[in-house]
Amino acid sequence: MTDSLATTAPLPVLRWRNAAATIAPLLLALVLAAIVLGLAGHNPLEVYRLLAVESFGGAKRIAATLAAATPLILTGLATAVAFRAGAFNVGVEGCVFVGGLAAAYVGFTYVGLPSIVLLPLALIVSVLVGALWMLLPGLLKARLDVDEVVTTLMLNFIAVSLTAYLVNGPLLAPGSANSATPMVDAAARLPKLLPPSTLNAGFIIAVALLLLYWLWGSRTALGFETRIAGLNARFATASGIDVPMLIVKMMLLSGAIGGLAGGIHALGTVGRFVSGFSPGYGFTGIAVALLGRGSALGIFLAAILFGALATSGATIQLFSDVPIEIVSILQGMVMIFAVARFGWIVSKWRGPR
Amino acid sequence: MAGAEMIDNVVHAAIVMTTPVLLAAIGGLVNRVGGIVNIGLDSMMLAGALLGLIIASSTGSWGAALVMAALAGGVLGLLMSLAITRLDANEIIVGLGFNIAVAGLVRFFLKSAYGSSGTLNLPDVARLPRIDIPVLADIPILGAVLSGHDPVTWAAWLMVPLTAWFLARTRAGLRLRAAGAAPQAVRALGLSPLAIRDASTVFAGLMAGLAGVYLSIGVVGIFNEGITAGRGFIALAAFYFGRNRPWQTALGALLFGFFDAFQIRLQGRGVPAELVQILPYAMVIVVLTLMALAMRRARARRA
Repeated sequence: MTDSLATTAPLPVLRWRNAAATIAPLLLALVLAAIVLGLAGHNPLEVYRLLAVESFGGAKRIAATLAAATPLILTGLATAVAFRAGAFNVGVEGCVFVGGLAAAYVGFTYVGLPSIVLLPLALIVSVLVGALWMLLPGLLKARLDVDEVVTTLMLNFIAVSLTAYLVNGPLLAPGSANSATPMVDAAARLPKLLPPSTLNAGFIIAVALLLLYWLWGSRTALGFETRIAGLNARFATASGIDVPMLIVKMMLLSGAIGGLAGGIHALGTVGRFVSGFSPGYGFTGIAVALLGRGSALGIFLAAILFGALATSGATIQLFSDVPIEIVSILQGMVMIFAVARFGWIVSKWRGPR
Repeated sequence: MAGAEMIDNVVHAAIVMTTPVLLAAIGGLVNRVGGIVNIGLDSMMLAGALLGLIIASSTGSWGAALVMAALAGGVLGLLMSLAITRLDANEIIVGLGFNIAVAGLVRFFLKSAYGSSGTLNLPDVARLPRIDIPVLADIPILGAVLSGHDPVTWAAWLMVPLTAWFLARTRAGLRLRAAGAAPQAVRALGLSPLAIRDASTVFAGLMAGLAGVYLSIGVVGIFNEGITAGRGFIALAAFYFGRNRPWQTALGALLFGFFDAFQIRLQGRGVPAELVQILPYAMVIVVLTLMALAMRRARARRA
């Protein structure tokens, strides 16, 4: 089921074949969204031009785009890591929720610790909680062959409800009517890179992890083994790779990165945990991983693209009457087309498999 | 007397909340037997809920609303199926993509056509009629179970034995099962397993569309972007819980319907609704784990 998702190596350069396979779903989605815009009486080219200007026209806007891309780099990476091992993890969204709440909890509870202790502590806790959240589906998949798609999907709903319960009850900020924790201590906030933009040190962490991912995929034995296991689990087993153990490891790693995405979002952007914390970062991460075809550079570019759409979509809704939902429409279509195989065209690009 | 009335109310509410989950779950079950796990049920419910409400308001006919809502779901099902069977796209990703894209389209449409963000309240919506059964209606519990329900609820429960019979006893049912389990055998008969799968996804779409319009014109009377409240995924939970068997799936849907009805009651007594909402999803993980353990034990015994 997952073979087509794991085939591309995390190459630093996109070969033209991969580039074409990446751009095709995007173009198709843009054309279909243009029809939707046209039917609603908007000029699609004008809307797309506005989106581009609002995302990249000037330092402020670029900073906003990068800030919006930060959680998506991490959720895209979390998804790609699991896909590569052949584990179909659709539960990164849940990790963002539990990781975000865990980091916020540390951030508003251990007030008084110096920043150099508190901030790493909060981030590490978000990583651990995210990894723990994926322990059960990882073990169930590896030991009992329980379908990880279903378990991780169900865990998303459990994470959303569980964190909603916690911020409405035990962790509700005193005197607050809406479902939110207290604000985290200033010492737990990730430093801003370009104030007043929300772009923060989390972006640097995300990019550093992408670089590590590239090195890991191309230079380490574990990265190689993971790729083999994802491509052909039986061959990997025959070569002496402990595939079930590898799947558990990669699910934990995927959860850890997903939890970190939540931690960085809580400490960098929001400053606390609120209900409805993630607007679907985990699911957009799936689109990012697919569009980026699992490569480090691809994930980076795809995350920037979806980050740009999210920020510029919000601004153009203010200035023109184009509903921001055009972004969701584009994102959903990109996901569908990114996994579609246009038989005769793509078979030429992919070569013999 | 008040206690008995409360039980009647809970039973009635539970059956109402079961109907949409049961409809979508039966559709998803047939789809899965045919070889496709339908993650997009929620999007088809949403489309059915919106179009059904608009038709119910403009024509004043609940029958027309049901037909159009089912068709909306069916068309989405066909599109989704074609992406999976003809473009070889991964069913899980396509399903998630449909949920995101359709939710976006629905909100885009609400803003563009009605200038409304998220909610649509239309005049003169034709609501589903209630079928009151004389004499029976006055019997405690039994009255709440059998009387005062609408035609869609009756149809949903009728679908359970029909689906069981269809899968077990008919030629088409056998072909559907073969398309899922042994596509080569279907091909050897000169039939296309892909076309059979497409048909099963269209059926799932029709049922999910009905489930959606049941929520908008049967339960609430208005449309809201959150109207499905993830019930497409609860339906998925139900047919996984029921292991593709119609009666067990219906039992799962009924159980989740009771959770839904209880959750409203429990809220008044200090039990947080969020924790009750976790139950269906947690149950699926538990059931899948128990099944896998049982299978492993059976295999160990045989060896």
